[in-house]
Amino acid sequence: MSTATDKQPLPARRPKRSLKDRTTWLSDHIRNEWRLYLMLLPTIIWFIVFLYKPMYGLQIAFKDYSIFKGVAKSPWIGWEHFQALFSNDQFLRAVSNTIKISALNLLFGFPAPIILALMFNEVLHAGYKRAAQTIVYLPHFISSVIIAGIVITAFSPSVGIVNTVLGWFGFDSVYFLTKPEWFRPIFVGTGIWQEAGFGSIVFLAAIAGVNPSLYESAVVDGASRWQMMWKITLPSILPTIIIMLIIRIGNIMEVSFELIILLYQPATYETADVVNTFVFRQGLQSGQYDFAAAAGLFNAVVAFVLVMFANTLSRRYSRTSLW
Amino acid sequence: MSSVTLSDVEKYYGPLRVVHGINLEIESQEFVVLVGPSGCGKSTTLRMIAGLEEISAGTVAVDEKVMNRVAPKDRDVAMVFQNYALYPHLKVFENIAFGLRIRKEPKEHIDKTVREVSEILGLTPYLDRRPAELSGGQRQRVAMGRAIVRHPKVFLFDEPLSNLDAQLRTQMRAEIKRLHKRLGVTSVYVTHDQVEAMTLADRIVVMNDGNIEQVGTPMELFTNPANQFVAGFIGSPPMNQFEGTVSANADGLFASVGNASIALPEVNNVQHGQAVIVGIRPEHISIHPVDGLPSIPIALDLVEPLGSEALLHASIDNQPLIIKAETHGDIEHLNSVSELYAPTDLIKVFDKDTGAVINSHPTGRIAS
Repeated sequence: MSTATDKQPLPARRPKRSLKDRTTWLSDHIRNEWRLYLMLLPTIIWFIVFLYKPMYGLQIAFKDYSIFKGVAKSPWIGWEHFQALFSNDQFLRAVSNTIKISALNLLFGFPAPIILALMFNEVLHAGYKRAAQTIVYLPHFISSVIIAGIVITAFSPSVGIVNTVLGWFGFDSVYFLTKPEWFRPIFVGTGIWQEAGFGSIVFLAAIAGVNPSLYESAVVDGASRWQMMWKITLPSILPTIIIMLIIRIGNIMEVSFELIILLYQPATYETADVVNTFVFRQGLQSGQYDFAAAAGLFNAVVAFVLVMFANTLSRRYSRTSLW
Repeated sequence: MSSVTLSDVEKYYGPLRVVHGINLEIESQEFVVLVGPSGCGKSTTLRMIAGLEEISAGTVAVDEKVMNRVAPKDRDVAMVFQNYALYPHLKVFENIAFGLRIRKEPKEHIDKTVREVSEILGLTPYLDRRPAELSGGQRQRVAMGRAIVRHPKVFLFDEPLSNLDAQLRTQMRAEIKRLHKRLGVTSVYVTHDQVEAMTLADRIVVMNDGNIEQVGTPMELFTNPANQFVAGFIGSPPMNQFEGTVSANADGLFASVGNASIALPEVNNVQHGQAVIVGIRPEHISIHPVDGLPSIPIALDLVEPLGSEALLHASIDNQPLIIKAETHGDIEHLNSVSELYAPTDLIKVFDKDTGAVINSHPTGRIAS
């Protein structure tokens, strides 16, 4: 068969424009699309006020901050707080705990919504599917305080359902939330229960975007549902999975702060105290704002480096990236 | 090779009946094209043969074995989809090999078969590319490769060329025809493009509103349309149709269309004064005087030059018509056309109420 006349797709190439041309184009564009920019304005203002302006205060991580002298007039002390941080056993423990909890979250919490979405996709009965989806979405809308209350009650040594069931099998009651070795499994499990359902929405949307004729073609070829899931659905939603993974890696240092505060206690600090709770205790409870700012800055820099690293890796190996 | 038989096949979506009990015999090695306007049920019929749609009533049989309850994978059919249905994450080789891998064929067999098919389709240089790196024609060839590689009993094509531009469509059409000649596999092809149907088919099935209007070879359908619908659907441009009233004189039958009289062929079952539809193909009309034929005055609207031919848009008694005329390299002489001559034996007469043809002739003579 002839191939000579087939058109080859050519990469689109835009001619380079001068700075003047680009400025003119931008001003024309803004003049034409001012309504869209107007709608964008509240978000930009929100970013400036709540995310960029506070960055001014980051400098206290390098200062001997005094609330009486203010940010500008407090004296510079260089890397002193960071040196103190890295010689602080509690901080190092918090960093280690953050990484361990995040790793567990990534290992078990990240695949959970993907598996749920794949399972929902296989449910053929529309009514049953809707009911199941609603049930797994619900915990997301419950406040962390209530979630913590449910967890505390469920694992209570006296009235908790977990200990009651263990009792039926002849086990002694365990006060799980005071046992450091149980904190991480309980915390990660709670996170999955609360967020896996809601997190599955984005993957369900990605699955909905898969061309139905791919499945029909596979059916005619003789593929089973299991084969279609592995060979069509999963590869088709891989770009979404990668994007979500990059975002997740970027948030690796941001362990669910409220839930830890609500669930941990001095007896479980050993495994439960993370950088954010450390910053909270040092900054707000002990008044060491500069020291806490240094810890927070360290957290942010690590997160930034991680997200850059994940994005670069993803772009190189899967051609999918955030930017 | 295999035959396909559809017996009283119906399809309902809820209370809506979209296929109305169709019967069709497709012989072994035959290339049958289902053609009709959008929503006529042709794709649904094809999908019922594939097993992608449940059959509400009737039976579909391949080699006389009823397939209603047989899973698509066990029907031994292969389907080529309109949007190619290629797996974007797989390279061309893996796309073609997909069906064989699913069936757990030995690796050596897969490799050999895929390379053979790629050679036939001219895809060998592209085996390491992904679908996004291919042109439309190449993607369509990969889709065909996926169907061929399994050596199925029946090929099903669901408007496979409609996403291609006109030039590529013509090229791919020829390739499909060549491929069918080479492989000789029974093929059912769905399209709404009557040119595709005419050029590809051994037999055409014209469908409308869930019914089969006519089945026949392309030339049978062209020369002997069973009704107004087929006459208006097959042919490019389609057959001209005018409302007229039958009258008779010593010279024979005529249809009065306004002030014009069109000589009709011998038709037994029409009555004087009966309202009929007179049909004549644009290419059968002559703009030059023909011995024994009365001239029919027309009002010329515009001339569309196509190169060696031109389309003359005109009207008789405000009823539009199109004439296909030769240009002989110049269209100036066509601008002054004011009358036409309709060869009596090529005129079709349709019942105004039922749309069914009243006369039919077996030959397909084209007026010079």
